[in-house]
Amino acid sequence: MTPSHWYSRFCHAVSRLYHRVPVLPRDCGFTVLLLCAAYLLSSILISHTGGENNSALVFVLAVVLISLLTTGYFYGIVASIVGTFCINVYFMVPYASFSLSRAGYPVTMLSMLAISCVVCTLTARVKRQASEAIRRERNAKSLYEQNERLNAEKTAIQLESARETIRGNILRAVSHDLRTPLTAISGAASVLLSSGEINPKNTCLLQDIKADADTLIVMVENLLSITRIQDGKTSLKKREEMLEEVAGDAILATRRRFPDFEIRLEMSEDLLFLPMEPLLIKQVIVNLLENAIRHSGSTAPITLRLSQQDNWAIVDVRDQGRGLDAALCKSIQEGKPLTQDLSDDSTRGMGIGLSVCQSIIKAHDGFFAAGNSPEGGAVFRFGLPMGESES
Amino acid sequence: MSDKRLILLIEDDHAISNFICRALTANEYKPLAAFSGKEGLSLFFSHGPDLVLLDLGLPDLDGLEVLSQLRDLPREVPIIIISARDRESEKVRALDMGADDYVVKPFGVSELLARIRSTLRRADRLKISQGIQRDVYQVKDLTVNIAKHQVIQNGEEIHFTQNEFKILELLAIHAGKVLTYDFILEHVWGPYSGSSNQILRVNMANIRRKLKENPSAPNYIYTELGIGYRMLED
Repeated sequence: MTPSHWYSRFCHAVSRLYHRVPVLPRDCGFTVLLLCAAYLLSSILISHTGGENNSALVFVLAVVLISLLTTGYFYGIVASIVGTFCINVYFMVPYASFSLSRAGYPVTMLSMLAISCVVCTLTARVKRQASEAIRRERNAKSLYEQNERLNAEKTAIQLESARETIRGNILRAVSHDLRTPLTAISGAASVLLSSGEINPKNTCLLQDIKADADTLIVMVENLLSITRIQDGKTSLKKREEMLEEVAGDAILATRRRFPDFEIRLEMSEDLLFLPMEPLLIKQVIVNLLENAIRHSGSTAPITLRLSQQDNWAIVDVRDQGRGLDAALCKSIQEGKPLTQDLSDDSTRGMGIGLSVCQSIIKAHDGFFAAGNSPEGGAVFRFGLPMGESES
Repeated sequence: MSDKRLILLIEDDHAISNFICRALTANEYKPLAAFSGKEGLSLFFSHGPDLVLLDLGLPDLDGLEVLSQLRDLPREVPIIIISARDRESEKVRALDMGADDYVVKPFGVSELLARIRSTLRRADRLKISQGIQRDVYQVKDLTVNIAKHQVIQNGEEIHFTQNEFKILELLAIHAGKVLTYDFILEHVWGPYSGSSNQILRVNMANIRRKLKENPSAPNYIYTELGIGYRMLED
């Protein structure tokens, strides 16, 4: 290591020590130590030079140093008074006794006092400027850091919103680009089916094409809904809707796709008029009905019941099939993601539909539950808050 | 050949245009396909179709712009809008601007054909009646007698409040046509009825209960979610 390095480490250690000791003992210590040093130096000098001594200058130096190293005026003034006494008693003729008779003594005393005052004022000013400079530097540094952090945050937000926009645009494009050809496929298949020009052997193939195209259309709608929800609650366009109208529309749409199934709507006597995004809630009901049709393992009628409990509008979808297993009910109750539980073949396709329901209802601040009815069959229930529309 | 009705289809997607034209041909209509707004307008002027199917998402002109140009003409031709699901407000605007009906993509062929049939029938009826209002409207077992201010269902008279009857009357006069919330509000409650349609919805719920109408299997009044109501025509 180089000497300069040693020196800087030494300075650093001293300054750390200086700042670690409390102010009062430190200042007292410095005062006593420097006065003693001045006394020692003066006595050494007087033993060499005799009467012609420089003790006054030595003490002035001590006073200057004390004023520099301590805080405030107090220690400097005390040191100058003690110093003048010391000089008078020990280093002036007659030695070892106090006398005011000697000419010029008051001058020495006053000048030492004046010097200590001037030095204290100067050092106080210097210190104040130093601490001011340190404070300014700290301020500047923290401002700089804050600025850096804000800049980083701003870039992150800009990046995120740009990403969101791109994602939204891609989804919109994909949805439009999927919907149009799917409509064309389904439409072309149904035109061919109704044309009567198709060999009966090929009819079932055409029916498969139409059914699968319709399933894909529903899936695209589901994916669109879920992306809308995931963009955040702000994108929900809620307005007051009559729940029975939404439920009726959902049943009509489901019946168009599955004309052989019987679906019953039990309306409530209360008017269930509550805030919601109607197309999303319709989607929830359509998904639950389709679920019951495809996965209950029964062709018995499905019941959709609307009711009001306290401040909740409740929708129950009840089938008469094999029911649900306990693990699925539990994960629905706890709001866990459903896609993993339902990946085996018998429940294929159930996962997306149910998790769409889950997230749509969550975005409406509602609840979603599932269970088995004592008479057999599964019951899916969701509730939506009625809002404060009691006018 | 000449008694076939001419239907102008303005739709930019070729696959959709193809299957609609095939379906129209199979159902004894004569289709005429245009793939842009401008082409649609020029075909309209050169051929004078009986009905227009108009896609709102066109590459060159806004669908609503085409609609307003067609509506500015003296000849009233029925127009059915084809629109995407997420453009609900556009649909309402199109209906308020004078479109007769709408279908939403993705739609089924049978649904589209049913709308075309009903719209054409309604247009024919309007042409015959020359704008003279009938006094009695009949839907299935429901009779709305406007002159007598009376509603009879299955031989029994049902009592409605003033506003409920006004709504029924309005729907009956325009049977087969979708009436938007704003249209009904303005005609029943007057032009300053405000923007909230809650009062209309509550009245409709009461009408439904009095008629024992279940919205999942409507006999008389269909709900067009987020848009308005339509009474079935007889």
